[in-house]
Amino acid sequence: MIKIENLEKVYKTEEIETTALNGINLHVRAGEFVSIMGPSGCGKSTLLNVMGLLDKPESGSYKFMETELLTMNDRERSNFRKQHMGFVFQNFNLIDELTVFENVELPLIYNKVPAAERKSLVNEIIERMNIVNRSGHFPQQLSGGQQQRVAVARALVTKPKLILADEPTGNLDSSHGNEVMELLCELNEQGTTIVMVTHSSHDASFSNRIINLKDGHVISEKINKARTEELI
Amino acid sequence: MFKLNFKIALRNIWKNKTSSLINISGLAIGLAACLLLLLYVSYEWNFDKQGKEADQVYQILTNYTDQNGVISGTGKNTGNAIGLVLKEEYPEVKAMSRMTHGWQELIANGETSFKKDVKYADKDILQLFDYTFLYGNKDKALDEPHNVVLTESMAKLLFGTADVLNRTIRHQDKVDLKITGVIKDIPKNNSVRFDFLLPWTYHEQNFDWAKELGWTNNNWMTLVKLDKGADVDGINKKIAGLIRSHEKESKASPFLFPLSKMHLYGQFTKGESTGGDIEQVRLFMGLAIGILLIACINFMNMATAKSEKRAKEVGIKKTIGATRGSLVSQFLMESLVLTFCSSILSIALIELCLPVFNNLLGIELSVSYTNPVLWVSLVSVILLTGLVAGSYPAFYLSSFNPIQVLKKKNTRRGFGALSLRQFLVVGQFSFAVILIIATTVIYKQIQYIKNRPVGYSINELVEVAQEGALLEKFDLLKDRLIKSGAVTSLYQSSGSMAVIGSNFWGMEWPGSTVADKEVVFNQLATTYNFIKTNGVKLIEGRDFSEKFASDTAAVLLGKSAVKRMNLVNPIGQVIKYQGEPRTIIGVFEDFIWGSPYVTDDPMVITFNKEWNGTITMRLNNKRSANENIAAIEKIVKEINPAYPAEVKFVDEAYSKKLDKQKVLGILSNLFGGLAIFISCLGLFGLAAYSAEQRTKEIGVRKVLGASVMNLVQLLSLSFLKMVIIAIVIAIPVASYIMNSWLKGFEFHTNVSWVVIAMACLGTIAIAILTVSFQAVKAAKTNPVTALKYE
Repeated sequence: MIKIENLEKVYKTEEIETTALNGINLHVRAGEFVSIMGPSGCGKSTLLNVMGLLDKPESGSYKFMETELLTMNDRERSNFRKQHMGFVFQNFNLIDELTVFENVELPLIYNKVPAAERKSLVNEIIERMNIVNRSGHFPQQLSGGQQQRVAVARALVTKPKLILADEPTGNLDSSHGNEVMELLCELNEQGTTIVMVTHSSHDASFSNRIINLKDGHVISEKINKARTEELI
Repeated sequence: MFKLNFKIALRNIWKNKTSSLINISGLAIGLAACLLLLLYVSYEWNFDKQGKEADQVYQILTNYTDQNGVISGTGKNTGNAIGLVLKEEYPEVKAMSRMTHGWQELIANGETSFKKDVKYADKDILQLFDYTFLYGNKDKALDEPHNVVLTESMAKLLFGTADVLNRTIRHQDKVDLKITGVIKDIPKNNSVRFDFLLPWTYHEQNFDWAKELGWTNNNWMTLVKLDKGADVDGINKKIAGLIRSHEKESKASPFLFPLSKMHLYGQFTKGESTGGDIEQVRLFMGLAIGILLIACINFMNMATAKSEKRAKEVGIKKTIGATRGSLVSQFLMESLVLTFCSSILSIALIELCLPVFNNLLGIELSVSYTNPVLWVSLVSVILLTGLVAGSYPAFYLSSFNPIQVLKKKNTRRGFGALSLRQFLVVGQFSFAVILIIATTVIYKQIQYIKNRPVGYSINELVEVAQEGALLEKFDLLKDRLIKSGAVTSLYQSSGSMAVIGSNFWGMEWPGSTVADKEVVFNQLATTYNFIKTNGVKLIEGRDFSEKFASDTAAVLLGKSAVKRMNLVNPIGQVIKYQGEPRTIIGVFEDFIWGSPYVTDDPMVITFNKEWNGTITMRLNNKRSANENIAAIEKIVKEINPAYPAEVKFVDEAYSKKLDKQKVLGILSNLFGGLAIFISCLGLFGLAAYSAEQRTKEIGVRKVLGASVMNLVQLLSLSFLKMVIIAIVIAIPVASYIMNSWLKGFEFHTNVSWVVIAMACLGTIAIAILTVSFQAVKAAKTNPVTALKYE
């Protein structure tokens, strides 16, 4: 589904140039759950941002279902993103002024889904995420795990083909973390492609494939047999 | 989406109560001030423009040329012939009315009598203005000499009702008049106003000199109404020689000038309109916009200062798929919601302040809520304010890059934003400082004029109108007043000390040339005790005296008159005044008779028993003023029972001359103060925000041993820097503007360094107070609480 070739990204400040991505090649098939790991500063978050069309690389090619994305302008990228991708962040990034229901509803509004349909879609997803009784609450009133479930619900509500997760368990204790990971697995089993950046090999063990990055290179790739076999 | 954005807006306003309050109230004050000023501007702007065909009404003005053919002045008075001729000979002239200048006359309902504003005018006046007739027939109301048209409030004052058609009222205690019309009160922003209107034919009956048609007896004003689309320039060309064709000697050339422009553009130099009150209107327009801008700047600053809090929201929305446009519209919506709240508050404020404001200025402003124009302009001002105030935050906030704001927990504000915010604060304070300096200079100028020596002892000087029986019984009045001990001295004269009365030209004196005949002199006629009573300083010679029978053919000259005539030993010389020889018996120091802003024409005081009208009295200062006034009123009433006895203080009449500048003073003080207040409100908000943001830094510094004073300094300094830059910008601008304003006055003060220094120190002091309040609050917080937040 995703074909990334020779991706390069350089950050420039007045004094230093930092190469974040240095000729990355990566293929992700539909239905895969891929973890990206590596030490701090290895470029894993940059890669995820590029994949999410939040950042632009200097050169390379990024094809999503045979469509080249890097030549798109801002509006096209934004449209593509809201139609096909969902995001889950480490610090949840919910809007404090909106209730759980409204937070989840927001992407649908941007996708111009009619109100009645929005309501049923949101209700369906928050039921699935087990946060129905929280739908009128504001994010500050929820625990971390609950907040992350809202964030996942928000990412899922548009039924995206790809979910990009940036350390989704980073701000959670282990039991809440596991809850979220199980949720992601479940989604993956239902057919959603997931790319996740993580520090934790425990979290990575939930995925089919683990890619290790260092200094902007892919240094190793490992198929997680346990999960893959399960998948087959 | 609209609904959701609206919700976010409301929740945000609720969450940040302090800053919302500052924003809303600052904007509300700004809006209220702006709307109030605009109300005043529209009041001035609509002067003489209310009638349906107001643009077709013209006043006949006259340009006067001197010997060299240069236009030396423009007069607003006409004789009583020109209007008649215009109406007869020019088909474009649809209606014409001559009218007297406003004064007060006695009118009585049989029991009580009142002195009220009267005008005598041709019956066409009812065609010139579309007065609303509550009762009576517009076409016939002024047909008979003894008809009278009352305004509604006049009718109610006399009879308690407006339905008074065909009833009789007594005029000047002599003539019974039939009420033939009652009209709605005339709004204050009309130059032709009266409480009761009398026919021109009645005026002619009373005075032979009014009946005799003349071209140069300039006692009246004449208005005409032209056909729609009439060629005014063409008419003006045709009538330019009209007066000269009837009076060979005359150097006057008449022209028509729109009445609707007289109020704002009624100043003429060399025969051309060179402005007038329009300058004041422009000034207030500028002030209104300036104040609103200051309030908008507050708004922008607060919004951008909060940008860090909002950055996250922007980031998330962008990631999820919000376009820039949708974010811009969201922030604009927020600003519109705030502006809307402010506008409601501002309308309440206006309603609250309007009576006070009207009272201060002596005008009648009101908000007519049924007027669609008001609503359209109100909504557009509000929309514009919302858009202006919201545009910068909207475009700034929506420009955030999502990964940057989402990744780093604390995005440093961009250098651009910071400097723009500083720039705005500097601009705001520059404007405020300019206003303070301007206000102070205006105040100083008013004081300067107020303190100009009047040239006579104005205190304890009172006057009554010499009318009715007082005309014949002056000597009796004099005896009784002196005997009563209420006054020490009194005299009769042709006019008040405080109001310029009359001038003339054509005087001849030893050594005068033909050209000297054009020199204009002021004239006042009196009998005995003039100088003794009012305390004008005699330089040489003496006052008129009963001991010298020849004094009935004598004059007193002002110092500047003697100088103008180049007389070396004036006393005893004979001059020709109004064609008759008069001996100079005294020279007095000039006093202010006309406007205190300019030098009066040289003055001649002549002896004339027949030319009277005012009695001026010096109160006995050994008794209380109230006692004296009561005694005078009692005696005057006894001698002249038909007229109300109104004793006026001369100094009060004099201070009326300063009214117009007083309005300017009040308005600039008020709105200058408001500008400062709103600016400080903004500074307060910014300081609060900056303190809040630096909570952690303050905590750390405190733990490391910083004192409260150190921290206050730290927090205040950056703000103070901006204020000082603002002052540096404001000083030259303000002194330039105010110097050129002062140059417009013949007698003027200067923009002194004291004023500037005071304004600057005042601003700095207010700014320090504002900022340090926040700084002290922040610095005094327990460092542990501060650090716990991280």
